[in-house]
Amino acid sequence: MASTTLSPAVARAHARRRTLRENINWLFVIPALIFFIGYSLYPIIQVFAISFTDYKYLNVTDPTHFIGLQNYIDALQDVKFQQGIWRAVYFTILFLPGVIFIPLFVAILVDRVKNRRLATIYRVILLIPAVIPGPMIFILWRWMYDYEIGPINVILVDTLHLFTFRNAPQWVGDSPLSIPAIAMMEWWWGLGYHTMFFLAGLASIPHEMTEAARVDGANEWNLFWKVTLPRLRPIMLILVVLRFGTAMAVIEEFIIMGGLNSAMPTYTWTVYMWHTAFSLGSWPQGYAAAMGWLGALSMLAVVAFLFWVFRDQDSK
Amino acid sequence: MASEQQQEIQQVLKRAMDQGLISRRQFLQAMATAGLGLAGVSVLGACAAPAAPPPAAATAVPAAATAVPAAATAVPAATTASTTERLLTPTFYQWIMDLHPSIPDFNKSFGDVNAQIAPVEGFNVARFVAEAKNQESTWDVYVGVTPFVEMGDLIKSGAIEPWDPYIPKEVLDDMIPSIREEGSIDGKLYSWPFFLDIIVQAYNSDITNKAGIPDTAPVDWDEYLANAKKVLDSGAARYGATFDAHGWRSLAPITHSISTDVYYMLEGDKSGQPLFDFEHPAAVQALEIMKQMLDLSSANALQPGATDGGVNQTPDEVAFGAQNVAYYVKYQNAPLRFAQRWTNPDALRIGALPKAKGGAGSTVFWTTGAALFKYGKNKEKAAEYMKALTYSPQIWKDSIGGTAASHPGQLPPYTSIYNEWKANPPDFLTANPWVQVVFGQLPIAKAIPNNPFGLNQFVIGQPIWETYLKGEEKDPKVAMAATKKAVAEAVLKAQ
Repeated sequence: MASTTLSPAVARAHARRRTLRENINWLFVIPALIFFIGYSLYPIIQVFAISFTDYKYLNVTDPTHFIGLQNYIDALQDVKFQQGIWRAVYFTILFLPGVIFIPLFVAILVDRVKNRRLATIYRVILLIPAVIPGPMIFILWRWMYDYEIGPINVILVDTLHLFTFRNAPQWVGDSPLSIPAIAMMEWWWGLGYHTMFFLAGLASIPHEMTEAARVDGANEWNLFWKVTLPRLRPIMLILVVLRFGTAMAVIEEFIIMGGLNSAMPTYTWTVYMWHTAFSLGSWPQGYAAAMGWLGALSMLAVVAFLFWVFRDQDSK
Repeated sequence: MASEQQQEIQQVLKRAMDQGLISRRQFLQAMATAGLGLAGVSVLGACAAPAAPPPAAATAVPAAATAVPAAATAVPAATTASTTERLLTPTFYQWIMDLHPSIPDFNKSFGDVNAQIAPVEGFNVARFVAEAKNQESTWDVYVGVTPFVEMGDLIKSGAIEPWDPYIPKEVLDDMIPSIREEGSIDGKLYSWPFFLDIIVQAYNSDITNKAGIPDTAPVDWDEYLANAKKVLDSGAARYGATFDAHGWRSLAPITHSISTDVYYMLEGDKSGQPLFDFEHPAAVQALEIMKQMLDLSSANALQPGATDGGVNQTPDEVAFGAQNVAYYVKYQNAPLRFAQRWTNPDALRIGALPKAKGGAGSTVFWTTGAALFKYGKNKEKAAEYMKALTYSPQIWKDSIGGTAASHPGQLPPYTSIYNEWKANPPDFLTANPWVQVVFGQLPIAKAIPNNPFGLNQFVIGQPIWETYLKGEEKDPKVAMAATKKAVAEAVLKAQ
């Protein structure tokens, strides 16, 4: 076997090319980095900075003062903020199980459809709500839930005669049903999208594993608990973490369904924060920023806890 | 000599820039045109240090107004460029375009207009304020401002300036005095009035006839409530009466029917504008009337609306539009619009708001008008446009007579139009006798004062006074005292 020795000059050139090849990847990161810094990092830092000031957006003539932790102290003592956090927690408690277990159940059913064409049709139907823009969904369901002309109440009153229009259920506004009603809307909206997560997870479970379990005498119930569910745990973690964040920070749905009346169950901390920052008084955005940070920090704490709950127990 | 001229030009331009009449970019362009490019950069550098916030609009404006001609003569090229850079760009609140389909036709006939829809859902003017902070404006004029609602915020943030330097005197003189006053602060007109709305009562005469009630509008609240109860008891309709839960559309006008002396100056409020006195006996009495109406209304009457952050498409509108309720309190354009879709649109009756016995018999009016962006362009053109728009005979014919698309029923703000109609009544006017009924309320109606909390006092207060309406608080005086306290605290916190 013939061997060749590179001259030092050629070797240096090769080394340069290799270094360039290895480092050029960083160039491709730059656009994403610019967007991350410009649209995520900078606003986060900016909001953090103004949360320590008495910054009021409309007060263009008054100087802004550093007030330390005063906004945070005020927010923690603010009944509307506390109430808003609990309302969001209540919504999240109702919302999360529905976006995990219903899609999981549907995914298991769809996964068992052996006819490939039929399985595709099911998947497409499930995905239809997911491709409808949010505001259209909210307006559609706002109409569905309308007290007077919404199809749900019309069926309950005029068709089934279960209620009259003096005592029919109120699905939106100041009603104990309004948060569950919005959670139901969210389940429906996200069903297809979340089902796809689980279908992807189910597809990754080796066929041999389930067959081996069956050979060992596992029934369907055992198969689900001992084989399928542990393999879907990472998917569940992703969904729980993602949806926990979105559930705690829901705002558009609440404003569309409940407006800006602070007595409404939909007046959560996010709505209050927005209302404070862009509508109330001189728009005290320093205070609103502190509320935002408190909300974000409490959510981060819960996310850390969720990571601990869903930690990889196989590595123990 | 040349140097003196250059210095003069520089000073004029600098003044124009300081007053917000031209942007920094336009300043540099003009300086370059005058051969003062580097000097311009140095002036900007000197200005750049601590970015001084723009002066309060109300005080800065007169100087700006007088500075315009000077700047224009000093650098004709620059100012010509600034006014011809873009077409006149008015932006309209969505509902105006929806209700007045003749506006796009008007824009075409006016020519060179780039009309847009304003990003102001739920009266939110954040975008306008944000642009003003950068001393710029995408638009020249905002058509959709309601004085007591968002005008205060727009002035405070320096986003708008008065129309006075641009509006022709004959137009100012032609405005109905109370309307002109409503759109003004410190004697300066910030809202060029366009559409007049007055809170009135409306009823569905098909329903009241079915209930055996004479076809006349109830004169006082006792009669109104008794009739509404008769409707409910007779089964002529699902509900007897309804109202819009937002305070400026119900609590304030019903209070005005009892007394208009229900505003007070809050100590410590720097706005110099009064607030609604929720504790006033007339306001408490109004709340009690609302409670009685609520018992005759749909169960969801206090719920938020379906659009515009809960402000519009409210339950009362749905109930009245679906012919499920007989009596209704709202601005005239609401019942007119909904009756258009009834099986018998002729069944609509409109009357003055019922009086309280021995009360003032007043109501609330407001106009929706146009605000002039301080950092907009084409200001003279904007005034020309607004004059033509607000006097457009076609818009008033369609508004009052209605079109296949809508029947907004909003009224003009000018004396001369009414005088002309009186002298030569057009067909669309004689076919719509409600115009006289509604317009007849204006002399006794009162606008909600332009405190920056003009609207927000009702937004903040609503959940509190509603504790009485929902039965959570038994004493209306306690509910209203708590409301007043909460509003006062919020106002003082915002100072």
